[in-house]
Amino acid sequence: MGARRVVFDRVWKEFARGERHDSLRDLIPAAVKRLRRRGQHGGRDTFWALQDVSFEVHAGEAFGIIGRNGAGKSTVLKLLTRILKPSRGACAVIGRSGALIEIAAGFHPDLTGRENVFLQGAIMGMRRAEISARFDEIVSFAGVEPFIDTPVKRYSSGMNARLGFSIAAHLNPDVLLVDEILAVGDLAFQEKCQARMTHFRSQGVAIVFVSHHLPAVAQLCNQVLLLEQGRAAKIGTPAEVIAAYCSGHATNEQEDVAISATLRTRVPAGNAFAADAFEVEPGDPLMLEVDVHFRVDVERATVGIVVWDLTRELYVYGASSDFVGIPPIRARAGDIRTFNFRFEAHLTRGLYAIEVNVVDLDRQRFLAVARGICHFHVREQVSYDGVANLYLSGCDAAAGRALHAARPALAR
Amino acid sequence: MRVAYSLHLVCRDRLSLNGALMQRLRNDFQEMIREQFEFRELLIQMTARDLLLRYKQTAMGLGWALLSPTLNTIIFSVIFMRVAPVDTRVPYPLFAYCGLLAWNFTASALRFAVTSLTANTNMVTKVYFPREIFPFSAVAVSLVDFAVAATVLAAMMMYYHVAPTATVLLLPAVVAVHATLTLALALMLSMANLFYRDVKYIFELVLNVWMFASAIVYPVDAIGGVAGMVIRANPMTAVVEAYRHVLLYGTPPDPLSFGSAAILSVVLLPTTWVVFHRSEFRFAENI
Repeated sequence: MGARRVVFDRVWKEFARGERHDSLRDLIPAAVKRLRRRGQHGGRDTFWALQDVSFEVHAGEAFGIIGRNGAGKSTVLKLLTRILKPSRGACAVIGRSGALIEIAAGFHPDLTGRENVFLQGAIMGMRRAEISARFDEIVSFAGVEPFIDTPVKRYSSGMNARLGFSIAAHLNPDVLLVDEILAVGDLAFQEKCQARMTHFRSQGVAIVFVSHHLPAVAQLCNQVLLLEQGRAAKIGTPAEVIAAYCSGHATNEQEDVAISATLRTRVPAGNAFAADAFEVEPGDPLMLEVDVHFRVDVERATVGIVVWDLTRELYVYGASSDFVGIPPIRARAGDIRTFNFRFEAHLTRGLYAIEVNVVDLDRQRFLAVARGICHFHVREQVSYDGVANLYLSGCDAAAGRALHAARPALAR
Repeated sequence: MRVAYSLHLVCRDRLSLNGALMQRLRNDFQEMIREQFEFRELLIQMTARDLLLRYKQTAMGLGWALLSPTLNTIIFSVIFMRVAPVDTRVPYPLFAYCGLLAWNFTASALRFAVTSLTANTNMVTKVYFPREIFPFSAVAVSLVDFAVAATVLAAMMMYYHVAPTATVLLLPAVVAVHATLTLALALMLSMANLFYRDVKYIFELVLNVWMFASAIVYPVDAIGGVAGMVIRANPMTAVVEAYRHVLLYGTPPDPLSFGSAAILSVVLLPTTWVVFHRSEFRFAENI
C-alpha cells in the first residue's frame, strides 16, 4: 500500500438553510426580528450536508464516491480542495493536488484558448514555464489545435470541457480530485479521460472520483463510498457498494410476491457455478438463481428476466420462463420456489443490471417487478461503444481465420 | 497546485492565552505569505487578464487610463481658474492633475475590488486559490493605469517648467503608503460586498463624498475650522499632499499628517488581510 494521500477523518459539514441576509438593508430588520424572537426560536435553521464521514486514500488507489443528487458527494471534494472547511473533524490532502472539480471554471469567455490555458494553469498552481513546456501536448490532447487562438466563447461545450480536462490532465499531481467530468463530452473523449485516469493511477496518483456514471466507477476504483443524505451508507469494493446503491433503487412494485436472486459465475478453476458474479469477461456463462416467495395463490405464473445496460439506459434483453421450457407455475400463498437460469454475457464493456419479474398469465399483470436485483460488470478492451458483443477481430483475407482469437472459448 | 503541510484541525476560536493568539497570528501570516508566494504566477496572470481584456474590448485600450484624470483636470481647471479661482503654489492644472491622478488610482482600484469576488462567483465556488488574488489584482491593474497616466504628469511638469528636486527620491515611499492603504481598503470592500451586496452602492456614495473631503482639487490650506480638520485628518489628503510635496513643491511631506497616514496603512493592511484570510472559507457558502 502506498503513502497516505487523502485523509478524511470524522468530518461533519453544516450548511445554513433559510434566507441569507445579503444586504445591509435586510440585515437591520432581520437583526431586530431575531432579537424579538429570541428564546422562542431555537438555533439557526441549518442542515448537515455531511455527517461523520471518514475515509483514507493511498497512493495508487482510486476512491469512488457515489450517491444520489444532494447526498454530499461534491461537498466532500470541496472540503478536500479547501473551498469549504469542515464544521467538525479534519480533512487533508497530502501532496500536490490537482482538482478537476469544475474543469473550465477559470476560463474567461473573451480570452483565446491559448490565453486561457495559461490562466487556468496558473489557477491550478503551474508555473508559466511548466505550461509552456507542455502547451503543445495539452492542445493536441484536447484536439483543439485549429481553434487555439479563438476566444473560448466560440467553443462548443465539448471543446471547452476537453481543453479544461486536458490542462488538468497534464498537471503533475499526487492527488487528483475528479467531479463528474464524464457528464460532458462524447464517448471517445470519455474513453480518453478514463484512460488518462487509469494511467495516473498506475503512476501512483491517488484519485478521488465522484460520479453518477457507475460503469466508470466500477472500472476505475478499487474502493467506493456510498453517501446517503450525508452519511456513509456503505464503504467497500465497487461490487458491494454499487450493488447496495442499486438495490436502494430496486423496487418490488407489487407485494403479492417477494423475489430474491443470486447471480453466480463459474469459478475460474472448475466447472461449478460458485463465485458470486460481478466482474465478468464477455461470453462468460452466468447462472441466476431466483427465489420466489408467493403471498397469494396463483394458477399460472411466469418468471421474466430482463437485462438493462446502465451505461446507456438501454433495455438489452428480455425473456421469460415459459419460453425456456419451464411450465407455468402454480403456487399457493406461502410457497417458496427456486428457479435457475443460465445465460451468457455476450456484451460489451459496461455495467448491467438484472430485473426479475413475476407475471400472472391469467390476469395479465405483474405480481412483482424487482429492478436492479443483481448487477454485473463486463470487462473488455475491444469495443468502444454498443451493447452486443460481436467479437471483432482482425483476420486473414483468404481463409477468414482470426489472427488473434477475440472470441472466448465458450462453454457449451 | 498547493501543498497541505499538515492536517488542519478546524475549530472555533477558543483562545484564552495571549501567547496562543500570537502564535495563531504568526501561523496565519506565514500561511498568507506562503500562499501568495505559491500563487504569484496567478496574480500576474489575473492582472494580465484584466488588462488584456480591456485592450481587446475597447478601441482606446490603455487610453482609458488617461481619459478620466485628463477630463477631470479640464473641468476643475475651468471651475477653479475661471469661476472661483483658488491660489495654488504651482499652476492649477498641474496641481489638479497630480491630485486626480493619485485619487484615480485609489478610486478605480476600489471600484474594481468591490465587485472582484462577486463577479467571479464561478471561480470562488469551484476552484481553490487564495481569494486575496482578486482584490490584489484589482489594485495591480489600477497601478498599471496609474503608471501610464503618470506619464502625462511628467509631460505637464516639463510644459510648466516644474523640475523635480532631490525630494523625488521620497516618491517610492509615498507610492508605497498609498498602495498599502488602497490594498487594505480593497480587501475590506471586496469581502464586505460578498457578505452584503448593497455595499457597492453605498461605496459609490462614500467615494463621491470622500473625493471632495480630500484635498484633491483644491489646496488644503484654504480651509479652516471643523471642515478643515476633517479634510486634514483624512489619510487621502495626506497622501495626495505628499505627492505634491515631493514632486511639485520640492519639499518633504508633512511629517505629522503623512506619518500618521503611513502608520494607519501599515496597521490597516495586516489587520484587514488577517480578517479576510480567516473569512475566506466562508466565501463559497455565502456568495
